[in-house]
Amino acid sequence: MNRVLTLAAYNVKILLSQRTWFFLAWALFGLQIAVFGSLMSKLVSTAVPNYFFFYAIGLMVITVFDSGADVGRHFVEHAHEGELPYFLSLPISRGGFLAAQAIYGVANTMIKVLPPLIGVLWFVGDLTLQGVVFALISMFLLGLGITGIMVSMSFIAFKSVDIYSAFLAGLSALIVRFSTVFYPLIFMPNFYSPISVFSPLTYGADLTRWVLGFDPNFLLNPILAAAVVTAVAVGTMSLSARIVDKVIEGVKAA
Amino acid sequence: MSQLSRLVRIARTDFSYFFRTKWLMAVLISLSLSDMLVMGLVYGRLIGPAYFRFLVPGIVVVGLFSAATDTGRRVWLALREGVVQYYMTLPIRTGGLVGAYIISGGLGGIVYSGLLLLIASIVVPPQGILNAIVLIPFLFILSTGIAGLAAFFASVSRRGEMYWVYAQALQVSMVTISTVFYSAQTITKYLPAPIAMIAEYNPLSLAAGVLRDSAFNGGPLDTSALGNLLAASLPLAALGGVAYWIILRTIRLKGKP
Repeated sequence: MNRVLTLAAYNVKILLSQRTWFFLAWALFGLQIAVFGSLMSKLVSTAVPNYFFFYAIGLMVITVFDSGADVGRHFVEHAHEGELPYFLSLPISRGGFLAAQAIYGVANTMIKVLPPLIGVLWFVGDLTLQGVVFALISMFLLGLGITGIMVSMSFIAFKSVDIYSAFLAGLSALIVRFSTVFYPLIFMPNFYSPISVFSPLTYGADLTRWVLGFDPNFLLNPILAAAVVTAVAVGTMSLSARIVDKVIEGVKAA
Repeated sequence: MSQLSRLVRIARTDFSYFFRTKWLMAVLISLSLSDMLVMGLVYGRLIGPAYFRFLVPGIVVVGLFSAATDTGRRVWLALREGVVQYYMTLPIRTGGLVGAYIISGGLGGIVYSGLLLLIASIVVPPQGILNAIVLIPFLFILSTGIAGLAAFFASVSRRGEMYWVYAQALQVSMVTISTVFYSAQTITKYLPAPIAMIAEYNPLSLAAGVLRDSAFNGGPLDTSALGNLLAASLPLAALGGVAYWIILRTIRLKGKP
């Protein structure tokens, strides 16, 4: 356990040294909320009341998604820069190695999401401790699921980083656009909504909105959303544990 | 071989690299198509059917922007990995090398946005096809301007991953504060005047505006908007060219940027 924490602390320390990225992420979040969020909320106000809040949570979910993808990229970069064999030679189990990666991912997500979450809740006059805590739990579970997906997919990168990047780019475009990150499911055309229910972001975004008190008429059933988010987190983390255990050996450095 | 033919040759080689980076093409195509055919359609249901027609030309311009900024990534990689030292052994002047880079960036942007324009024409038939063809050289100038801006940021990014910080900030701010997603009237109505002014003179807004009015809605070509587009794009191309030229000259004189 101590070794896992030492490795995680090393990763988090590197993460904290990249302060520019955090300031940039917060500033761009602020810009998108202030300009895109406020203007689109005026345009769609008749269809979706309080769209500003709806969009703000969607933007946070995108941040969670990007942080999860970051962990996958971090993992792949380790592999291709030859650091992975070094990490695997440390006296730490493969599961411990994965847990250290997951802690890194969670820290990355929380640092990027917490200030915007508090800022938005304060701005809309809905800042409560329990709202912040439950929203963070919901996004934490979603973040674990995304991290699990990204690490599970990283075995593709062991064959080709280009294919991995292309695959992730395509996947992220589909997973974000077809989800309820930007718009409620009830407004999606019939031919898109079946795809939307396969996106974990749909459940993560709606669950977070629900715990923060958004009108449930525009959201999925919260029990279903919570069940799916938890299942994705557990399922993909287990899958990535198996991949780290079985596939990772013999990865060639670039 | 003249300097001009060497410039053309380098620009052609660099331009072909754009199409060899398959993952980049996959990123661009999947993002643009999903913006157009998913986001555009759903927002159209939320705002009104006319919104889809409004958004599609904007997505074409965003595609042009994304493709043209790839020049910045290539300049950054060349500086970071020392490939630039090899470039300087080529029998071409520094200015020619800079010009070749900016032109190939412009070509990448125009070819990619041309493809998007073709796809957009299927979903929203343009009323002024001739105007769309006339606009292509102006979009090429815009594309070189954006390539120049990206080259500028790549040239001033001396440290590690700073280029990506600039690139992300540039993309989000230029697309968000523009009339790609919302009209100039909406911005003027709800946001402070300085932001509305930035959005109005943003080259992406100018390009999206002329595409909407002249190519898709069949209105006459607005020469003052085209003039503004040139006036906004050419200084950006020049800025990027000068910044990259200074870096290359410094490397030639001192051996490092």
